[in-house]
Amino acid sequence: MIEILNPGWHTSIQDQGRMGLQEYGIPYSGAMDMNSFNWANKLLNNSLNAALLEMTIKGPKLKFHAETVIVFTGAQMDIKHNGNKASLYNPIFIKKNDLLECGACKEGCRTYMSVLGGLQTERILSSRSQCNYVTKSGHINKKRILQIKKESFELNKGVALKSPLPSYNTKEIEVFKGPEFDLLESVTQLKIATQTFTISHLNNRMAYQLEEKIINKLPEIWTTSVLPGTVQLTPNGTLIVLMRDAQVTGGYPRILQLSNHAVNILAQKSTRDMLHFKIKSFD
Amino acid sequence: MSQKKSFLKIFQYSETSILLEFKQEPKLDLLNELIAFKKILNSNLCGIKQITLSYKSLLLQFSNPLKKDQNLKEEILKLYLSFDSSKSKIKSKHWNIPVCYESKYASDLTVLSKHLKLSHHQLIELHTKPIYQIYFIGFLPGFLYLLGLDVKLYHPRKKSPTLKVCKGAVGIGGRQTGIYPDQSPGGWNIIGTSPTSVFDPDLKQPCFAKSGDTLSFYSISETTFKKIRKNRIPPNFRKITL
Repeated sequence: MIEILNPGWHTSIQDQGRMGLQEYGIPYSGAMDMNSFNWANKLLNNSLNAALLEMTIKGPKLKFHAETVIVFTGAQMDIKHNGNKASLYNPIFIKKNDLLECGACKEGCRTYMSVLGGLQTERILSSRSQCNYVTKSGHINKKRILQIKKESFELNKGVALKSPLPSYNTKEIEVFKGPEFDLLESVTQLKIATQTFTISHLNNRMAYQLEEKIINKLPEIWTTSVLPGTVQLTPNGTLIVLMRDAQVTGGYPRILQLSNHAVNILAQKSTRDMLHFKIKSFD
Repeated sequence: MSQKKSFLKIFQYSETSILLEFKQEPKLDLLNELIAFKKILNSNLCGIKQITLSYKSLLLQFSNPLKKDQNLKEEILKLYLSFDSSKSKIKSKHWNIPVCYESKYASDLTVLSKHLKLSHHQLIELHTKPIYQIYFIGFLPGFLYLLGLDVKLYHPRKKSPTLKVCKGAVGIGGRQTGIYPDQSPGGWNIIGTSPTSVFDPDLKQPCFAKSGDTLSFYSISETTFKKIRKNRIPPNFRKITL
């Protein structure tokens, strides 16, 4: 068992999400930075879909009531294991009654903590991912107890230990043209391709809004399917990048689509971070 | 190919998905075509993970990144040209949804009926009369996009959304009407509340209806409202084949 002494700024349980249930209007969900998520499970030899904790901006304070092994990946963070400094991308061996104190995220805003065997919390609609309107809460609360499995662990030699420490400093966000991109005037297209954008304080698991406005003369469109990574242009000219917990349909023109890699990179960015779009084609 | 084909645009949407857009206005014929073609695609294309339907498009998601030499676009076009939607039968259900239109459950009914120059009674009659087509589900889990609102009830959304619209609230926004599956912010004019739960994440099929089903509303008293909500009575339906 893991006891949540303090939940941190926004910590939630995540796995790969709810792919296949969008015909009921259910968000995709799943870890925001899937790359860090995958590394966290790989380093413990967990199954690909094992549930873990996604920590945002500032991590939680935890007490362990059983022996286990954990791994941190993603954004750099000061982690104290019984008062001693611990590092990311290395297994941490936990004993009963151990305390873990997580600090603030640095160079990135989401840190992942996987647990040997994965968190054994309730599955709702085939996933353990927390999401508003689907699970009782969209994040973990103080005093919550998380069940874990008892499993044996052998240090994984070779490939897994060579995991790179990723850099989230890049401003480049790789995108493809969205279905409504060609309807924009060429001046506007050029502006989108060359301008630097700033992430507004309105950024969360559902969507990231950008501060700089774009002139929008596009007609309204009929509500249509959207994906995580779809960039919508609202009538007042705001660009909204949809993320993992976004609604599955939208009525604003879809002018860009982030690559899978770019969604993971953006997931590590936060308020006032800058970015520019690099438009690529599929060929 | 006996019937008229609507023009189809095939567009790669992401590394793993393709968007099909139909150059046609959303209406019942198009919905039936979308449902029938979705079935064809699901059973004929390899590696499909999911197809989602909206007013005039299908989004095809694949398990693996698409390769240039896959010729998927041609394959889809070929399937479309050889498919005859008039031959496909769609099995669907008609749902009867109870709504309490009493003032306590209808915060905007009085204001809206004044704007539309209708009595409460006339407004309720116009809302309960049509058979609505369930087009698809989106916005929130279990939120049904319905076609069929009477023109006399068209009314713009509120300028600023209400922060807390109740679970089950039935509203009108623009040319649309719908049921809020859960408490949420919302800009529609609330004319009643349904005691029926439209979305339940604990069920394997979390929403009772699907694309292609039909729905109508019927007026109930506050007493019936309380009884249905307390006993969690599911909506009743009859089967139909189009």
